[in-house]
Amino acid sequence: MRVSFKLNGRPVEVDVAPNELLINVLRDKLKLTGTKYGCGIGECGACTVLVDGKPVLSCLTLAVDVNGREVVTVEGVSEDGNPTPVQRALVEEGAIQCGYCTPGFVMVGEYLRSKKRAYSEEEIRSLIRGNLCRCTGYVNIVKALAKALGGG
Amino acid sequence: MSEHVFIGRRAPRHDALPKVTGALKFANDLEAPGMLIGRIYRSPYAFADIARVDVSEAERLGAVVITPDEVPRKLFNPRLVSVDEVTYKDHLILTKRPRYIGEPIAAVAAPSEELAQRALESIRIEVERVYKPVLDPFEAMSPSAPLIHEEIMKGDQVLKVERNIAARLSYTEGDVDKAFREASVVVERSFRSGKRYHMQLEPKAVLCVPEPGGKLTIYATTQTIHNTRILISQLFDIPESKITVVKVPIGGSFGSSIQVNYLVPIAVALCLKARRPVKIAYTREEDMLDHSNYVFHMRLKVGAKRDGEIIAGEFHNILDIGAHQIQAYPLLGTSLGWFVSMYKWKNIRYEGVAVYTNKVPSCALRGYGAPEVQWAVETVIDELAEELGVDPVELRLKNYVGRGDIFWGQGPTVRSVIKSDGVPELLLKGRELIGWDKRGRPEEKKGRFRRGIGLGRGFHTSGAGGPISGEVIDFTGAVLKLNEDGTLDYITALQDHGGGTLDAHVKIIAEELQVPPERINLALATTENTPYDVCTHASRGVFVGGEAARRAASIVKQKILEAAVRLLPMAVNPEALRIRYDPAREDAVIYVEGMPEYSITLRELARKVWQKNWGTIAAVVTYRATSAPPSFTVYYVEVEVDTWTGKVRPVRVVAGADVGTPINPDMVEGQLHGGFAMAWGMVFSEDTPYNPETGELANRFLITDYKIPTAQDLPRLEDFKAVIASTKEPSGPFGAKGLGEAAMNPAAAAICNAIYNATGVRVYELPVTPDKLLKLIKEREGPA
Repeated sequence: MRVSFKLNGRPVEVDVAPNELLINVLRDKLKLTGTKYGCGIGECGACTVLVDGKPVLSCLTLAVDVNGREVVTVEGVSEDGNPTPVQRALVEEGAIQCGYCTPGFVMVGEYLRSKKRAYSEEEIRSLIRGNLCRCTGYVNIVKALAKALGGG
Repeated sequence: MSEHVFIGRRAPRHDALPKVTGALKFANDLEAPGMLIGRIYRSPYAFADIARVDVSEAERLGAVVITPDEVPRKLFNPRLVSVDEVTYKDHLILTKRPRYIGEPIAAVAAPSEELAQRALESIRIEVERVYKPVLDPFEAMSPSAPLIHEEIMKGDQVLKVERNIAARLSYTEGDVDKAFREASVVVERSFRSGKRYHMQLEPKAVLCVPEPGGKLTIYATTQTIHNTRILISQLFDIPESKITVVKVPIGGSFGSSIQVNYLVPIAVALCLKARRPVKIAYTREEDMLDHSNYVFHMRLKVGAKRDGEIIAGEFHNILDIGAHQIQAYPLLGTSLGWFVSMYKWKNIRYEGVAVYTNKVPSCALRGYGAPEVQWAVETVIDELAEELGVDPVELRLKNYVGRGDIFWGQGPTVRSVIKSDGVPELLLKGRELIGWDKRGRPEEKKGRFRRGIGLGRGFHTSGAGGPISGEVIDFTGAVLKLNEDGTLDYITALQDHGGGTLDAHVKIIAEELQVPPERINLALATTENTPYDVCTHASRGVFVGGEAARRAASIVKQKILEAAVRLLPMAVNPEALRIRYDPAREDAVIYVEGMPEYSITLRELARKVWQKNWGTIAAVVTYRATSAPPSFTVYYVEVEVDTWTGKVRPVRVVAGADVGTPINPDMVEGQLHGGFAMAWGMVFSEDTPYNPETGELANRFLITDYKIPTAQDLPRLEDFKAVIASTKEPSGPFGAKGLGEAAMNPAAAAICNAIYNATGVRVYELPVTPDKLLKLIKEREGPA
């Protein structure tokens, strides 16, 4: 089946099988490997991308489902080639260790930023509970998101 | 802090931007032209004999297939850290006698993942006999239990296995029985830990590429490129010079790739047969079938005199090691080391037995047994303090193994004298910060929500070096060269698991040479352009690897000064010159001492050395550390127990670490944050139970039922306080020691002691899930 959608601002067309998952199309066919496979069953959040501005787990999303929609991956969030405030904060706050979960946190962070409101620490912790990190204990991730999202 | 220019400075890690933009490639992100995708056929039985593996349909579908008869049939151990004489070998690449559900029996490779999967599903096995799985180590040791292995190898000797005992280690010091008779107080307790899974975020992956001239290039998720090369060379009889293993970033590991993961030799075998590149990437379920940790069944007995002097310690340690030996024998030694190096027992008796069961092979998991042993020791010490009626802090201060004492954390053959010790500082500062003296007693606490404060003290080694060679291989190397524009290339085989090890190396080189860290390139490292490094494990990255980097930088510095004498002829010799960082010029400046007007920048010097045909300034270092100093850690934790639900909430944490000089203070804190989180999971949720009938993992290999802490489970930002002791380790680079494992080790003990202080309930079995904790609370309080 042929699906066409907007990927990181540019139109793409790609042949997919009806049962093909978005994560595999992004990684294997479109060579965007920033989206990570962590569990394949929607538990870890490493494969999070934005579809029409909302975070979805690309390991649980059929590629045909994004036909005609807009997909943004970690490779597509930068603003004129510069890191976003969320990315900058993650770098500056030491929120990155092994980095494998990082793209998922970037995408959730970008979604929260698009809401243009401030989040408390409790809200941030609740909103990222679907993203697992094994290295940082989430301390500096929460700190970074609070900084980028102007949390109170 | 001010004595250093770059060390101790907070700065973003070198790979932060590539990671946050998704540009950094992990093993699973790589591909090669003409690549096949490999899949592994895994045993559906926990213990069986397979008569035949029928792969005809898979081959008809066009897949390349390997079976146990087509791969080398040498017994091996996938971990090469111990010397060969004490390396126990019981693995085959593919087996006809699977000993756990998931053990590889065959493998396929095909141009697409879909075709590979179809080929995989077409494989049929003919089973000769299915045995009832042996899942309990005590049952496994009974004479009637079937033997999981009959013959294994130790070095080049054949060993007959009896009663499923994989390895043993005993140790005695002094007269233990007499000491217990003389002790005023004796405490004896039994403990059992969970079979935890590493749950590193990156499932293992490998890409093996055939090269012209019979060479192979391997890109694998690994903590050791050199041991990967040696193992593949030994298994397939290919000279090491024809195999290149490339270091690729690793998405967390926590010990799960100290051994060469099973998919690597399988991918090599497929690649050799197909003569095309082969990639295998585990699913999460497969990753869970590749590794989890050891289960500790421990009995501790300790005795003390009325005045609080500890005089005896006894430790019985039964290890459930799963179906194969990765490092069971050395773990018997380190378990003993973790025990004896905690307190001055004076009279010691240890009996360690490692037992085979039909479970996923056990391997090291952050701390290599120290979290388990220190949990048991610190629980018993807490109880001892209570029985003696002394403050637990004072009891620890009186008896701990500290400066000037012999430390042998990594086991009996890795001993050295402790030269730096931040324990008193951390114990006393933490006591103050947490409000220890106001914690109250369990029996004073009433109501549904009860708070308690607990203490856990421990350590980990920094590497496995020592003054004598011993049973553990531990040395490393570094290559450093000055480029023609004054930048530097630094090459090391050491891996950075995410903790910032290599950023520490860069800062160490920067400090030695007084050049900004941005000028130092962490160059691509492979087995062919790096000296041997054993493995990035044992918290040795900064202490051992950092010192190798410092020595390389020191040699380069000497050569820089020698060249500078030729460029600043007023200087009589290199000793007349100094090197310092000049922020105005953003460069190292070499100048005559006391006459800064005679100077040259490193950039100018590098260019002149090139233009004048003086050759390249470079250094190659191989380095063995003659000590493995302890990094001490002290956790004070406050918890709140909901006595209605059994749920526990962390209230406050004071995490103290004695890392010597903190090279990257922000990353030191990062280790403490992550170490505490992992301990929280160890205490409350993490385990992989097995179905007693089938030997299947009860969670069906899914992480849905393997809960690691989320951001909601951990303390608020303002409630986590990291404290770094002001020590300096004389044998470490600029005074530094390791931290990765120490950051976690005693935290579980502190959490459990806090549960006791809140509820009066002692935890002897982990994980203590809410239902179990509720039961313990009810048992203690009796019928309402």
